[in-house]
Amino acid sequence: MSPLLSVQGVTKRFGGLVAVADVSFDIAPGELVGLIGPNGSGKTTLLNIMSGHLSGDQGRILLDGEPCSGLKPQGLARRGLMRMFQLTRIFPRMNVLDNLLVGGRALGLAADEAKTRANALLEELQIAHVGHLDAGQLSGGQMKLLEFGCCFMRTPRLALLDEPFAAIHPTMKEIMSRFIRARHAEGQTFVLVSHDMPVIVELCPRSICMNAGRVLSDGATSQVLAAPAVIEAYLGGAAA
Amino acid sequence: MSGDVRLRREFIATALLLVLLALVPLVTRDVYWLGVLVVSAYFAILASSWNLLAGFTGQFSLAPAAFAMIGAYGAALSAAYYNVPPIVGLIIGTGVAGLIGLVLGRIVMRLRGPYLALTTLSFAEIARLVASNSINITRGDLGLPLEPWFNDRVIWFYVFFGALTFVICGLYLLLRSKAGLFLEAIRDDEIAAARSGVRIVFWKTAAFAISSAAAGFAGALYAYFASLVTPELGLVQQTGLVVSMTVIGGMGSLIGPVVGAFLVYVTSEWLRDVGGWQLVIFAALVIMFARLFRTGLWGLVTTALAPRRRAAGRPA
Repeated sequence: MSPLLSVQGVTKRFGGLVAVADVSFDIAPGELVGLIGPNGSGKTTLLNIMSGHLSGDQGRILLDGEPCSGLKPQGLARRGLMRMFQLTRIFPRMNVLDNLLVGGRALGLAADEAKTRANALLEELQIAHVGHLDAGQLSGGQMKLLEFGCCFMRTPRLALLDEPFAAIHPTMKEIMSRFIRARHAEGQTFVLVSHDMPVIVELCPRSICMNAGRVLSDGATSQVLAAPAVIEAYLGGAAA
Repeated sequence: MSGDVRLRREFIATALLLVLLALVPLVTRDVYWLGVLVVSAYFAILASSWNLLAGFTGQFSLAPAAFAMIGAYGAALSAAYYNVPPIVGLIIGTGVAGLIGLVLGRIVMRLRGPYLALTTLSFAEIARLVASNSINITRGDLGLPLEPWFNDRVIWFYVFFGALTFVICGLYLLLRSKAGLFLEAIRDDEIAAARSGVRIVFWKTAAFAISSAAAGFAGALYAYFASLVTPELGLVQQTGLVVSMTVIGGMGSLIGPVVGAFLVYVTSEWLRDVGGWQLVIFAALVIMFARLFRTGLWGLVTTALAPRRRAAGRPA
């Protein structure tokens, strides 16, 4: 099967620091891939390049076999690539429903269709009771759920989720996990960045581990987590 | 509260306010006070156009008065050199301001905060100095005279109120469409808006052009009212007044700039006897609102009414 997303030799430098070094991998349609690694390993930088928020210095990225390096985030969103940020990004002065409608309308849904879709998402994510509030009034966890929902106003071809489970209540974590499981079962493609290893093990059949900007290991999650290089990267040389 | 409901509520409140003000000529035909209300309506259009940019899109431009001046010169120069009728002059003034706004909007599109403010302020000063120094074309500080369109102050009163109503209706229709949703999203978080698929460049430029065209429209109309166009229309103090009116009335609401414009201008006329102190009073008011009531007078009103809505069992 031809890959949905192909990352080919991507490198990004910030001055003397090589944040991403010659990274290559493919994501097939319908895969749910965990992207793991210690802090500063280059996961978010790589996601920024994949979602058009940063441009790489070398290499290229193909979406559906077509080069998409250089496309702006809005262009990539229109091609079905959605991104959830590590630090929550919502529209705080707009109400929760309107937060969802922005993406729906921008990606071509009619007003009624967008509203129906937004209400269904609010129900599924269990935040319908705060739909009338300004998004800035929500709790941190509810904001995360809202941003998560914003990525699914139109079914994305590929969802890049950066730390969706960080600092939220287990109940909300379970709501998101259930949502991801259900969509994955329907054939949806995900790349999930997380430090929450139990969740990665539970959700992701495949994982890619990065360290110091490089791919350390890529394969079945259980094998990746057992790889000596990965253990060393997480626990340090003395523990390995 | 849904954004649609909030906007509709503001639109109805604005319409009620305009209907009330439109009754003034039935009470008094005092030429001076009708003139004050005409100028207030001019500032209400300017403040509303600036509010589209600063309040709804988050672009803090310091050039609304410059665009009003450009609109005024567009109308006056086309009348002086090509003898066009006022309605055509009005269209030309609006169009020229909108076109220049479109170009400036593209140039400043990636600028934010103090950089955007400084760039638009520099543009405003350049535009004013060009008008002031192009003596052969504009007669410089002597001003460019215009044949008056109407001589009756009551007619002018209703012309300006019609123009203000037209602008408010236009803004309401724009803001309740998906464009309004996108502009507010850009204001709140440009990166999140881009992630959602909003075309940032297009919508920011469109907002700049529409806002500039509306300011140019106000300026062109004012040119026919005043029968004289001078570079003073573009003074940065005029922009300061527009910003004060919007902040005091309530930035980011449809009604705020209209309330602010009438309140500030009419009160400043009342305070004329106290001389320079009126500026001190307004400056203090702006500081107070910016520090304590960032949602302006309209925000205070909605907050005051909110407990009653809750008591009545409706969502706040």
